[in-house]
Amino acid sequence: MRRNVFWLNYALLVAAQLLLTNYLRVSPYLLLTILPFMVLCISIRVGTVGAMLIAFITGLFVDMLSEGVLGLNAIALVPVAFARNSIIKLVFGLELFARQEDFCPKRNGFGKTVLALLIAHSIFLMVYLWVDAAGMRPLSFNLIRFAVSLAAGIPVSLLTLGLMAPDPRK
Amino acid sequence: MRKRTSWLSTLANVAIFIVLEVAALQMVSHNAPLQRVWAVKGTHVVMAKLWGSSNNIRYYFSLRSANEKLAQENHALTKELLEAREMLRKVHVDTSRFAAQPGFSALAAEVVRISHNGQHNYLILNKGFEDGVQEKSGVITRSGVVGIVDAVSAHHAFAFSFQNNDISISARLGQEGGSGLLVWDGISSGKGVLKEIPLQYKYQPGDTVYTSGHSLLFPPDIPLGIAGGSRVINGATNEIDVQLFQDFSAIRYVTVVHNNSFDEIEEFVQ
Repeated sequence: MRRNVFWLNYALLVAAQLLLTNYLRVSPYLLLTILPFMVLCISIRVGTVGAMLIAFITGLFVDMLSEGVLGLNAIALVPVAFARNSIIKLVFGLELFARQEDFCPKRNGFGKTVLALLIAHSIFLMVYLWVDAAGMRPLSFNLIRFAVSLAAGIPVSLLTLGLMAPDPRK
Repeated sequence: MRKRTSWLSTLANVAIFIVLEVAALQMVSHNAPLQRVWAVKGTHVVMAKLWGSSNNIRYYFSLRSANEKLAQENHALTKELLEAREMLRKVHVDTSRFAAQPGFSALAAEVVRISHNGQHNYLILNKGFEDGVQEKSGVITRSGVVGIVDAVSAHHAFAFSFQNNDISISARLGQEGGSGLLVWDGISSGKGVLKEIPLQYKYQPGDTVYTSGHSLLFPPDIPLGIAGGSRVINGATNEIDVQLFQDFSAIRYVTVVHNNSFDEIEEFVQ
């Protein structure tokens, strides 16, 4: 039941991401996305291969239904899924894997959750901005875009905490 | 046993990661022209690096024959230089004629990779932008035109070979004949076709074909080949078969030439 609720929330947030991508274009410097956090929150029981496939399909789905370049979200989201287990091990320790439990900010700490999100979001943005720029944009533009998108993306992603990483005891 | 399973699992993860990334990159480059150019250039750089390293080993063992060839070339060049000096001494040189020609810079390079068997052949040279090679430079030898530099990395350059369906060179029949476009015939390694020669220009089979100097890439008067048979196309122009001087199967040392006025003229044209 809990698993079904997670995937339902996941689908709802993909729809929310589509709205953000298609209707909230404030500035060329701002890339607002919650996709890296969604991939980070996929259950560790799914495994790396499963997470990479889900990330790839999610990225393609968002690309297809938005006006961007097909494959751009997918190419940036797959590395997040690939690094997901390492990020969780690095930030939360091996205990979660031993108990086969997903991370939760209430139990594992809000600060650690933000740190994990920061790493995942940075990986996504680095790949996305690198491919999107295609060697044509100056480094200064990319750095500003990276910083603005990271600063805006983290609070927006944290708004979805209740849906993606709820307290299992509730 | 558990360690081995874990190792296999990591390997599978990496393999699937690469497959998904390549698939996504393929989609991106297929759907966005900017990203396609970027991806192709990136691939060229990687190819150049890979082939450059493997060829270093192979060339190390063929240094003796390379030295012999260089010595022969050196001898021929010295002989030519002496003859030219003697001619200069005898003939009055109109310096204003040379001053009017655009200046070309030249740089010696070695071919580390060359393809012959496709319709879009290419060369990789062992000199890059750190050595002074620039994009849109011509690649020549003493026997004619070899190709055009398309992409440059730090230490290598990727050039489209003349044996490429997309390459054409502005060429002229004889010293003062009609100009047209010289292209590879697409079949044999030593043959080209000179197209779009106006019918009023008469020629004899056996006439030499030279670079015209109308393109910004190559200096004028480089001998390219010998004119052969011809056909009239649509009653308007001649198409002439050309036997090329350049033997593409034996290229190793080339000269990269760049028109110093290239950027200025391009800017002017735009």
